Amino acid sequence: MSLLNTIASRSPWLYRINAGSCNGCDVELATTACIPRYDVERLGCQYCGSPKHADIVLITGPLTMKVKEKVLRVFQEIPEPKVTVAIGICPISGGVFRDSYAIAGPMDSYLPIDVNVPGCPPRPQAIIEGIAMAIDIWRQRIQEPA
Amino acid sequence: MNFLKVLFRNLRQGPSTDPFPFGETFTPEALRGRIAFDASRCSVCRMCEHVCAGGAIRFEETPQGVEFILWHNTCTFCGLCEHYCVPKAIHLTNDWHLAHKQEDKYRMIEEGTMYFKSCVACSSAFLPPSDALLDKVYPTPAAIDPAMSELCPDCRRARAAAQQTTPGMAQIHEPGLTLRPLRLNHNEKRHD
Repeated sequence: MSLLNTIASRSPWLYRINAGSCNGCDVELATTACIPRYDVERLGCQYCGSPKHADIVLITGPLTMKVKEKVLRVFQEIPEPKVTVAIGICPISGGVFRDSYAIAGPMDSYLPIDVNVPGCPPRPQAIIEGIAMAIDIWRQRIQEPA
Repeated sequence: MNFLKVLFRNLRQGPSTDPFPFGETFTPEALRGRIAFDASRCSVCRMCEHVCAGGAIRFEETPQGVEFILWHNTCTFCGLCEHYCVPKAIHLTNDWHLAHKQEDKYRMIEEGTMYFKSCVACSSAFLPPSDALLDKVYPTPAAIDPAMSELCPDCRRARAAAQQTTPGMAQIHEPGLTLRPLRLNHNEKRHD
């Protein structure tokens, strides 16, 4: 099992949850992943389509009332150990939507957040920095005895 | 044979991937990032608090003075605060290294305190205008009224009124604004 963990710790898979984001941060995430200039796959990461394959979760958006239950359900499907990264100021504090009647957030009152990347939206380098922090946390989590 | 040309060009140029996080990256000079606040320039007009889109700026009054608190985790980096700051106390630096762990969430702040001064005439506490603001308002340093930073607004007003010698001032027996009709514009249609 330890050998598998050593191998797995080199390639965390990313999963993206949009919790009512304006898509600004999602565009930056797409830029980080798809444009060779930023190329997040150099860190061994890869985006995956299913929450069941995910290791690092990137959450954007302020957690609107409408999407809250769905986000929590998808988050439950992600296997442990997982690392959660809040991208943009919306999941961290609510951002410009703070104190709105349509917002259930901030995100950390519902989900355990590990890394915050503030910005509106954060630039791709800042997202890469946040993912690098998340990978460090994830390596510690996967290698410590369960 | 066009592909050979492309291949050769790519080999000559090298990779176009940004070396970050393994190397240095390019940061534009005008990038709006972490906010730097200079308390010595601030004169607490609170315009930044008013225009702040994310509600990141807060002023808090303490017995010693007024505190400026900015939380980067709800700041949109729109730069409105810098734009509206007359004495240029707020500056958006191009430092974008803002990613942090959850335990540092509430430490991502920028603070500064503007201290009260005691009026030389009535010894009440007041906030003097900052030197940066006075430089902006007065054309030359010699034109700056030294009373601005020594007297409270009430004492300044009393001093200015005592210095004023308007001829015929004593003869005016204006009943005051309170007795005037409420409509200032007499052509305006009366509301129901």
